[in-house]
Amino acid sequence: MNLKYSALDWKLILAALVLSFIGIMLIMSAQHNADTEYQRDYYLRQSLWLAVAFIIFAVIVHIPPKLFDMMAYVMYGISILLLVLVLFVGSAKMGASRWFSFGSMNFAPSDFAKVAVLFALSRFLAYTKLPVASKRRMAITAIITIIPVALILKQPDLGTSLVFLVLLFILWFWAGLSPIYLLLIVSPIFSLIAASHWLAWSIYIVVLLIFLFISKPGIIFGIAAVVTNLVSGIMTPIMWSRLADYQKLRILTFLDPGRDPRGAGYQIIQSKIAIGSGGVFGKGFLNGSQTRLDFLPEPHTDFIFSVLGEEFGLIGALFVLLLFTFIFYRSIKIASHCRSRFASLVVMGAAGIIMFQFLVNIGMTLGFMPVTGLPLPFVSYGGTSLVLFWALIGLIVSAEARWQEY
Amino acid sequence: MERFKLSLEYREKVGYLLVIVMLVVLSLGLFKLQIFQYRDLSEQSEKNRIRVEPILPRRGIVTDRFGKIIIDNRPSYTVSIIPSEIVDGKTIENLAELINLDSTQIVKRLKRNMISRYQQTPIKRDIPFETVAILEEQSNRFPGVTYQMERVRQYNHELNAETYTGYVGEISEDELKGRDPLLYHLGSITGKKGLEKQYDEILRGREGTNYIEVTASGQIIGEYPDKESTEAIPGANLVLSIDNELQLACTKALDTFCCGAIVAMDPRNGEILAMTSYPGYDANIFSSVIPESLWTEIRTDSTHPLLNRPLNGLYPPGSTVKFVGVGAGLEEGAVTENSIFKPCIGGYQFGNRFFRCWDPGGHGTLNAAHTLEQSCDVYMYQLGLKLGIDKLAEYYAACGFGSLTNVDLPREAKGLNPTTEYYDERYGKKKWTLGLVLNNSIGQGELLVTPLQLAQFFCGLANDGVVYQPHLVKKINRFNGIETEIQPKVAFNLPFSSNTMRILREGLMLVVEGEHGTAKRLKNEYYSIGGKTGTAENPHGENHSWFAGVAPLDNPEIIVVAIVENAGHGSEVAAPLVGSVIQSYMYRKLGIDVSDSIVVEKGLGQL
Repeated sequence: MNLKYSALDWKLILAALVLSFIGIMLIMSAQHNADTEYQRDYYLRQSLWLAVAFIIFAVIVHIPPKLFDMMAYVMYGISILLLVLVLFVGSAKMGASRWFSFGSMNFAPSDFAKVAVLFALSRFLAYTKLPVASKRRMAITAIITIIPVALILKQPDLGTSLVFLVLLFILWFWAGLSPIYLLLIVSPIFSLIAASHWLAWSIYIVVLLIFLFISKPGIIFGIAAVVTNLVSGIMTPIMWSRLADYQKLRILTFLDPGRDPRGAGYQIIQSKIAIGSGGVFGKGFLNGSQTRLDFLPEPHTDFIFSVLGEEFGLIGALFVLLLFTFIFYRSIKIASHCRSRFASLVVMGAAGIIMFQFLVNIGMTLGFMPVTGLPLPFVSYGGTSLVLFWALIGLIVSAEARWQEY
Repeated sequence: MERFKLSLEYREKVGYLLVIVMLVVLSLGLFKLQIFQYRDLSEQSEKNRIRVEPILPRRGIVTDRFGKIIIDNRPSYTVSIIPSEIVDGKTIENLAELINLDSTQIVKRLKRNMISRYQQTPIKRDIPFETVAILEEQSNRFPGVTYQMERVRQYNHELNAETYTGYVGEISEDELKGRDPLLYHLGSITGKKGLEKQYDEILRGREGTNYIEVTASGQIIGEYPDKESTEAIPGANLVLSIDNELQLACTKALDTFCCGAIVAMDPRNGEILAMTSYPGYDANIFSSVIPESLWTEIRTDSTHPLLNRPLNGLYPPGSTVKFVGVGAGLEEGAVTENSIFKPCIGGYQFGNRFFRCWDPGGHGTLNAAHTLEQSCDVYMYQLGLKLGIDKLAEYYAACGFGSLTNVDLPREAKGLNPTTEYYDERYGKKKWTLGLVLNNSIGQGELLVTPLQLAQFFCGLANDGVVYQPHLVKKINRFNGIETEIQPKVAFNLPFSSNTMRILREGLMLVVEGEHGTAKRLKNEYYSIGGKTGTAENPHGENHSWFAGVAPLDNPEIIVVAIVENAGHGSEVAAPLVGSVIQSYMYRKLGIDVSDSIVVEKGLGQL
């Protein structure tokens, strides 16, 4: 089948391209004063990677989604193998074994796994005859997700494993599961938070029971929800009291970095200073003192958004937010009118991955999300990450070009 | 179950809603930081990158009147810690061991003096060079520890001049209150006592500042472009009226005694030529952190080395103040030059008590000048009774006793000049007897003076009644070449007419020259000398021995007052001591070679 270039969503492609170029510019600024030439050349490498990513994007656009549909489980199998392999032969950085190294190039199998799991879940959900809220359907999709999550947690990489869980939630939702279920599934986490005070927890449990009574999700599901909530609410204080002080501190710092201004909090504080001191118009390109003088940690990866906020101010930051919003808006629209159920799920899942990383990364730089180490899509430095996001854009654009196909 | 299945349209709307919520939340976050907290965060960002480094000025040096060094600066090493580079369990622990301080002490000093986590915080000043060598060789054992060259004060301890030099130390939080923040900040060195304190603002100069741009790791990028550095202004040098050689003579003279003080002044202008408090302390120990044990030792020493005797030592003046009583008697017409009282039979019966004269053999009848010569107590008792307590006190006060001399040193004691009012308050009305006036008239009892007050008074006697304010600083030499000469200031005039002064001066002469003079041993053929002995009764032990000497008598240019605590009679201890100090001054002036044996025989060589 011939692909008509006029049928491609050029606006979407343009938005992603602009984000990628902004990224290259910010990487250049971030490492402008770096000690080694290697670091100063990060932006050149990122440009090369953008070329690679664009080629892969073009290839994906030309491949009919049907092919991915057929290959989904095979790719899933390969990704699991790679994730196992990386634990043994991966190169360790900062105590985490996440990459395969080929010379100076690094390949993170978890990025590939994101796509593979997306395909596998979409394929299963697209063709299953099981009802949306059936236990079997939920269990199978959960298992598909849990296997890579467990392997990634072993690396260890909490942030990336969360991406998979969020992906599962989004696909459940897009496949038709009511948000009531989603709320009930995550409810033990609320119970855990409320358990810090007995009164808050009592009120929470009452609210939960009322919610269950009104929504009537089914007996087994209801009982499971109550039991998990009670267990997490009661066990938490007991577990908490058994933790050593430094462990408590570590958890509290993860939740509230301001507690430890010298450790984890330092990054957040410096990031907030960088963004805030940018004001409305910013300090100008290559002029951010926080960035230039190394006060900002990881300015080219995790905290690239802080560089943007410092040098281009509110205007620059809002511009980037709007570009992302545009990409999400288009993606949801495309997912809604694709006739192929598989393609629709893939588009929604792809957008979901981008959305989650976008939210968590920027939320972290603004200081209201914990430090997870998730890069900002398209903008942060990192070859495989850039390739992954362009591949996701490729899938979205490809689905749009073939929206009439079943 | 299918009732939980949502329509596509509904799901799409939920999706849009989520996207919008995300956009709003993140935008609000941006607004909060970039609009509402912009000012705060900009300021923090500026603070982040600028390190203000003080450029310490050279503290002014202090010399004697001939330019010989009294206080100097010497280079030393100060060990500091950069708090952000501390490695737990290593930095502080290893350093504590190396420089002999407690870990807790180091932490305390870090907390007290820390300006920024990236700025070196001084921990201990004046560490020995060997310690610096260890820091250098084993730097990996001391992460975050640095050292700097710094000037510390060096006091010429041989002079035992701490009574006026004082010393410097780190400013305390109390001292910081109300001070100019441009001049003083935490960790600043400031004068704690003596001249160092009195002239601190002149001596310290003004700190310069370097604005340096630094990275997060504290690495220096270079000068901060938007703010120019300011140069340090060196402190002014002080030239004192002190004569180091005379100062040494004073210190040597007291060497064989437990405790005492000497003040030497020029009566013509109030310049202090030498002043010593014995025993003293070594101000150099304050350059570094004083070990707790040494500090306790100094503080609990029974000889009170920290007591500044010339200014704060309060002693009964004994017979040295008989000049005031005699002068008052002449002025008030209670006596004339040759009028006499009941003869001295070794004491005086007053009421049911026998007040003894110091000489149990008695002096017979004496006129005013001879009373001073032989220091007869009985004459003074009768004169005191005639004058009364308040008249006597009035003259003591007019001679400067009981009030500050306003010498250019901090923390001077006033002494005590009792009056009727004072006694009424102390003992209750009518609960004390006139016996007290007898004591007062011979300089005993409640009357308390400082050696400096007494020296000031004798300056007046030697200078025709004109009393200059005692002072130490002669000249202030500022770094820009401007020199300020300190002009002598007349403090007051003695309340005596010229006739009275003539009689008093005759007494002064007779003490040494007279046949029965109490200090006739000071008589020598090279120069004339006058003075007055004093023996202050001390309820706690042996009498204090006083002597005030004046030379040369015809045109006095030096007076020396000495007190030796618990040493006995003035004529036996303090007089020869003062004699030796005056001798060293006069011999130098007259060009007499001390090693000449004839001099030793004819002069005061054997004293």
